[in-house]
Formats: sequence, structure tokens, C-alpha cells
Amino acid sequence: MPIEKSDLLQGTLDMLILKIVELGPVHGYGISQRIRQISKEVLQVQQGSLYPALHRLEKRGWLAAEWGESEKGRQAKFYKLSAKGRKQLESEESNWNRLAGAVANILQTAQ
Amino acid sequence: MSWWKSLLPKRASDAQMNSELRFHIDELTDENIAAGMPPDEARRRAILEFGGQEKIKEEVRDVYRIRLLDATVANLKSAFRFIRKSPTFSATVILTLALGIGANSAVFSAIDAILLKPLPFPDADQLMRVDQYNPKTSSPLHLVAPVRLEDWNHLNSTFQALTGYYSEDVSESTGPLPERVTRAWVSPRFFQVWAVSPVLGREFTPDEETLNGPAAALISDRFWRRRFNADPSIVGKNLRLDGHLTLVVGVMTPSFLFPNREADLWCPIPAGLSYGQARQNNWFVVIGRLKPGVTVAQARANLATVQAQLGRQFPKTDAELSVGVEPLKETTIGNSRRSLWLLFSSVTLLLFIACTNIVALLLSRSAQRHHEISVRFSLGAPRGALIAQLLTETFLLALIGCGLGLFLAAAASDIFRSLAAQLPRVEEIHLDGRIVLYSLACSVVVTLLCGLVPAIRGTRRSLSASLAQSSRSQVSGRNPLQWLLVGVQVALAVTLLAGAGLLLRSFQQLGRVNPGFDAAHILTFQLSMNWGETGDLKKLRQFTDRILETLRATPGVAAAAISVGAPGTPFRYQTELKLTEGRADTEPKIVAENRFVSASYFATMRIPLLAGEVCRETDGPPTLVVNRTFADNYFPGAPVIGHHVQSMNLGYSGPAAIVGISADARETGLDHLPIPTAYWCAPIAEPGTYFLVRTHNAPMTMAETVRQQIHEIDPARSVYDFAPLEQRFSDALAENRLRTVLLTFFAATALSLACIGLYGTLSYSINVRQREVGLRLALGALRGQIVRQFLWQGLAVCIAGCLAGWALAAASTRLLAGLLYGVSPSDVPTLSAVILLVLVIAAAASLVPAVRAARVEPMQVLRDE
Repeated sequence: MPIEKSDLLQGTLDMLILKIVELGPVHGYGISQRIRQISKEVLQVQQGSLYPALHRLEKRGWLAAEWGESEKGRQAKFYKLSAKGRKQLESEESNWNRLAGAVANILQTAQ
Repeated sequence: MSWWKSLLPKRASDAQMNSELRFHIDELTDENIAAGMPPDEARRRAILEFGGQEKIKEEVRDVYRIRLLDATVANLKSAFRFIRKSPTFSATVILTLALGIGANSAVFSAIDAILLKPLPFPDADQLMRVDQYNPKTSSPLHLVAPVRLEDWNHLNSTFQALTGYYSEDVSESTGPLPERVTRAWVSPRFFQVWAVSPVLGREFTPDEETLNGPAAALISDRFWRRRFNADPSIVGKNLRLDGHLTLVVGVMTPSFLFPNREADLWCPIPAGLSYGQARQNNWFVVIGRLKPGVTVAQARANLATVQAQLGRQFPKTDAELSVGVEPLKETTIGNSRRSLWLLFSSVTLLLFIACTNIVALLLSRSAQRHHEISVRFSLGAPRGALIAQLLTETFLLALIGCGLGLFLAAAASDIFRSLAAQLPRVEEIHLDGRIVLYSLACSVVVTLLCGLVPAIRGTRRSLSASLAQSSRSQVSGRNPLQWLLVGVQVALAVTLLAGAGLLLRSFQQLGRVNPGFDAAHILTFQLSMNWGETGDLKKLRQFTDRILETLRATPGVAAAAISVGAPGTPFRYQTELKLTEGRADTEPKIVAENRFVSASYFATMRIPLLAGEVCRETDGPPTLVVNRTFADNYFPGAPVIGHHVQSMNLGYSGPAAIVGISADARETGLDHLPIPTAYWCAPIAEPGTYFLVRTHNAPMTMAETVRQQIHEIDPARSVYDFAPLEQRFSDALAENRLRTVLLTFFAATALSLACIGLYGTLSYSINVRQREVGLRLALGALRGQIVRQFLWQGLAVCIAGCLAGWALAAASTRLLAGLLYGVSPSDVPTLSAVILLVLVIAAAASLVPAVRAARVEPMQVLRDE
């Protein structure tokens, strides 16, 4: 069952976006596609939360944006990770891993 | 630190947003086509899948929407809440700032009006004061002969026009009693130079400016209101000036206060007057208006060439003269510049002290608020927003303080007028938009000065985190920054106190000066005289004699004399004297201060005669008395009496015999050492002559009697300007007193602020360390030890502050040099006394919290923990 926007914590969406963008410059459509593909359709990002999130990250200076041509020759806005965004991603990743590890520990131990 | 960037507007354009979203929909459409849908259907489904575009755009716009306004409103609200929640703290800060900013703006309003703004005339920077002077003498009375003024006017190429005036007092007798009014005689081109015209009536006609033309007068706004109740039909009426009917042709604007604010009326003086023809008769104060684009240096060079040409033409009278050209504004401001900057630096120091005090208060405040701040951090507030909030609080306090301070600034002109009426342009001081802007700028600077450090320190994450954990168990309680601030305050207070102390000491020294004459029980006054009367010297001498005889015969009067310029006040008339017997070129030129007195002057003022006799009031060749400095300087070890001298500038005096030597007296001011002086026996009253009457009782009690006596002799003559001589000394020192009073006030305020800072910081530090004190008491420490320890903590900082203050005072003495009398700027007793005073007060301020610290009940503190 796909998890919808309301279930996805905002900070988590930001982290996912940063992670996707880390792989290389990509446009909004590409990000939503990749999240869906990589999560094997579990996570589905609504455009209504994707675009405000992209612009928020850009405004914070974690993403940099540039206009360019897509594979099919259309004008598209490509996002890439800034140095600041890379640092942010690292810290969020490690936080997430700690949290996830802790939650997993509890779940396993309490069984 | 890029938090401020978030305050700047940054936006995505709608066009870009549209194309970004359109791209997404296009891609979705392609996807659907690839899945086998017909293009129309594919697009329809893509749009549907994408969702409400307008809603998305609105949300994206929201990201960029400038939060500044919202944030500011929220910050202001929270700032108001903060002020309401801590009224004592806020009131302290607001009052401190109101005083600091108010005093600063008040002094600035004086600086602005007096030093910065142009004089209130059109293109006032073209107005120049032009003087003739002999470079070998140093008389500040640089008057110009009318005939020379005419020559300058014809020969120069840099001035639009040059004009001259002189003023004298005159009796106006159309009213029931004669009234003394001040009349300025103005030469042609007067109004062309000033570029002002009457508000009512007209300027002088060429007819009125020629010899024996009809008499005409323009009156001042002040005189018009005082005497004629602003009667609009005054033009065309007649005044009776010294018995001559004079037609009022117009009223000048209120802002036209030239030559000074006393001027009541202006009359044209024709160019062809007989006594204006002699090249050595110097009458005029000369003002010129430069041609547009001409610099002062060009004008100086031009007039120097003109004068050199005149020197060749008239070698006897003009060869030795130079021409001085100074901007009129500079000569108007005169010496006030230094006093004003001194005051301004003192109030600015005071404002800094107030700021450091507030920084200390805010620092301890933010330490108390660390809980609130860490909560907001953990809720995700960016640091920039927190700093902005803290700064908004400070700014609001500063703004309220500034508003209150403006009341003080509004009263500034009254304060300056009552404390220093002699200050030039004092009537131009008033509150205007510039002052309000200046105060606002002050509040911004104060906000940044006071608010930034506490805000940045208070929002340090590590600090707030560590404080959150350690506040209960913290033992050290040392806050080096706060103590540094206390030290700075003490240093600044010592600097101000040192300045005030030195000024007070010079005042005290002035009071101890022996002027060389006995000024007690001397009543002074003037009679309305005019220069025209000096045409008949014999009649004038008889008149003067008669007045003096009548005064001497009046019961209650011991002696009476006259003198041009009141003794002991800043009046100087220095000229070069030529020895008729000849003098070797190797010997110094004789330059002496000239005083024109009656023979009774020495007895009346009780100036002892050391040798020879008092000068004689005869119709024959004049005689004079010189003072001891004159004799010692120019005739060391040689007889003086019997020599004859002639003044190079005094047109009407031939060679005069020196007949006596008097003791030295401080004729030119109590704060000036006696200079070589020649007393000319000229028993004739002129404009500017003071009558000096030695009375048996308090001088002013005789004023009415004297007025009646003179009224009986000459009912048309007005008698005015009654004052005891001692009051004239104190008037002459008015600016001095203003400086001293204000600086002392600032210094006292600075000291109290520093003490409040010391007290507050020590109390705070003791509060934090209560547990430590309790523990030590419980372990057997003596209370005396505790008191000593905290007392020493406060005093150590003060001693360091005093040393720094001493250094600062020593470095800033240059500001004071020249304003002091009889005390050196690095006077050790004054500085030691200041430091002792500061230490005693600091000790008292430290003792209270230190004793309170020692009263801690160990059990209670430890239980609280």
C-alpha cells in the first residue's frame, strides 16, 4: 500500500529529496519518479508537497537550481546538491540511521 | 552567518514556476501516451493526476513570501510583552537611554544650528568678513577706514560687493521716556551684500544714501514688536533719534540679526562723510559677498594685490596693512567650536557608558532567559530569527528612550539660552526634522551597540545548551565580559570626571586671582553716546566732566571714573606705539593695549601708582600712564617716564608724554595675565565707554539714584546696562561656566551609571555563587573573608578601570588645553582626587552586595539546591 503525503514526515521528505538529488542533477518530475521506483511504489510523493519542498530547500541553500534541456529536448528546471546541502544530508542520514537503529533494536528486543 | 539573507526578499517568478509545472505535466502526458492512451485523453489524465496547480503555486509562493513583515509584527508583539513583563528592567533601560540619547541630541542640536548649518542668509557661504590689520600688532579690533572700503570696492575683482557698518547706541525719544536703542550705520551696498530685503516697506533710496539726504531707518522685527506692537502702519512714521526726526522706511525679517541680536535699527551712512575721508580713521566692520565660484584663497590673493597697490599709492597709511578674509560663519562661531565639540564628546562618552550598562543588564537578562531561548531552538527557530527578536526588543526600548529623549532635545535651546546667552546663533537652536532623524540614528546605533553582543552570546547553541544543564550546579559565576564592561564604564567615568575636575579647578583658580584692582562695590553703566558727538571734543569733555562731578557729589558714592571697555572683561585694543625719541631697530617694537580712561580711574579702581604721577586731563598735549609690564618689557632697567610715544592707529592723538607707572592689572580679563598697557587720559565719553562708580553699599542700590541724577543733567540721554563690575566678570566667563556645569553634570551621571553597573554585576555574580558561599560558610569560612573577597573583586576591576581612565584622560587633554586656567591638563592632585573619589564610591557600591553575600544562611542555600 502506498504511503501518502500525510504519513510522510516533512523532514523525511526533505531528506529523501536531498538523497535523490545527490545522485546527479535532476528535475522535479524525475525526483517523483525515482522515489516511486526506488521505494518500489511504497512511497508516493504528491506534487503538492514536492514542489513547495523543492523551493524551500532551494531557498535554504541546500539545493541549487538551473534551467536546462531534458532528454526529450524540453526546458526543465534541474536541481543539484550544494555543499551545504551535502552536509545537511550527511547529518540527517546519520540521525535517521541512529533513530531507525534504535527503533529496530526496541522492536527486536521487545519481541 | 547568512541568516540575514533570509530577511531579503527572494522570489520565483510565476513564469518560471509555470514552465516548471508544465514540464512535469508534459512528462506525465508522454507517460500516458506510452501506456497507449490517445493524446487528448493522456493530457486530461495527466492534469488530473498532477492535482490543483493553483494550490501548488500558492504553496510555492508561500515559501518565498516575505516573512519580514509578519516576523517584525510578531517580534514587536513579543517585545511589548517582554517590556510589560519586566517593568523595572525596561524602565531602567528606557530612562538611561532617554538621558543618553536626549543629552546627545540636545548637544547635537546646538552643534547643528551653530556649526553645521549655514548662516540664515541666501548663499551664506559667499559672505566673508574682511579685515585690515597690521601684522606687527595683534589687536583683534580690525576695523577698516570707510575710504579704504570704497577703494577695495572699486579695485577688486572677486567680490560682488563689500559693505561696512558700525553700531552705536542712540536715544529714541518719541515715547514718554528716552529709550536706548542700538543703531547700525550701514554703508551703501549693505542689502546687496546680505541679499535680504525688508518684509515691510522698502530699502533705502539713493537719495537717502547721499550726504545731507533725508534721514531714513529700517527697524528690526524685534524692535517693531517690542516698541510698536507689530503695528503694520509703522512705515512712514517718524522716530526721534538723538533729537533728529528719522523716517521709518521698512521692517526687516525676524531672522536678520546682524550685527547682532541687539540691533534695533539700520540707518544709511553716506559715503562722503568728512570724518570718513581720513585713511587712518578706521570705523567699519566690513562684510563682502564673493562672486559665485570664487574661492576664499582667490579672494585673499586678489585683495592682497589690491592692498599692495594702495600701499604704493598711500605709503604712509597703507604700506604696513594686510587684508584678512575669513568666512563670516567662522568669525561668527569663533571659539564656541571647541566648547561644543568638547560637550559633544562628553555626551557621546556618556551615551557609551549608558550603552555598556545596558549591555551588562541585557547579558544577565539573557542568562535568565536561556530557558526560553533553548525551548525556541529546540522547536526549530533559526538563530537569525532569535537574534532578530532580541534586537527588536532592544530597538523598541531604544525607540521609547529616544522619544522621551526628544523632550530633552526640545528644551535644549532654552537650556543653552539660559546657561550661555553669549553663545553665537543660540536663537537658531531648535528641534527640527534633522534632530529627530539624528535621534533615530542614535537609537539604531544604540540598538546595535547594546543589543548585538547579548543577542549573539545569548543565542549561542552550545552556550544555551550548557547553561540549561549547568545552571544549578555552576560554581564559578565568572563573567569576564560583564566585568570588562564595568571596567570600561569606570574608565570612561574617570575620563569625564578628570575633565570636569580640571575645569572646576580652573574656576577655583580664577576666583583666587588677584586682578590688580578692587572690583567689589563698583557699579558700571553706559550712556547713549554717538560718534557724531566726537566732532566737538571740548564740549564732550565738559559734558563728561559734569557727569563725573555730579556722580562724585552724590551721597553714597566714593569715586567715579570712565573707561572704554570695562576692566577685567574681554575688550582689547592693541596697537603699535612709536617712540618719538627714536628707538634702535634691534629693540623690539612697542605693542601695547590701549585704555582710554579718566584720571580718576586709578583711584576709583584702586590701582596703585608705582612711580611718577597720574596723567593730566588738560587741553594741551596728552599724557599717559603705562603699567609695570610695559616698563619691564620695553625699558628694562631704564627710565620710562619722560619718553614720548605716538600711536600709529589712533588718528586724533599726537605725541603723548609718559608721566607715570601703575601697578599691573588684569584689564583684558581675569584669565589673562597683564599685558603691556598704555592708559591714555581721555576724559571723554564715547560709544562703548563705561562709567565706573565706587559705592559705599551694594552697587545696585545706587542705580536708580544715578539714573535720576543723569536725567536731570541731560533728559534726552538714556542710561542703561547697569551691572556690578563683578557680574561682568562672571558674564565674561559664561561659556566657561556652561562647559563646567554641563561637564560636571555629565561626569556625575557617568559615575552613577558606572556604580549601578558595578553594583548590578557584583550582585548578579554573587547570586550565581550563593551556593558556593553557603558551602564555604558551612565549612567554616569567616564572614569577613567572604566580604573581603567580593569587595576586592569589585575594587580590582575599578582599579583597572581607573588606570585605564587615567591613560584615557591623559590622551584627551588636548581637547581641554586652552580651556584651562592656572592648572595643567595633567594636574596630579586633580587626577588623584578623581580616582580617590571613584574608588571610595566604588567601594561603597561593592560593599552592599558583598555584605549581603556574607549574610547567606548556609543551611538554607544548600537545602534549596
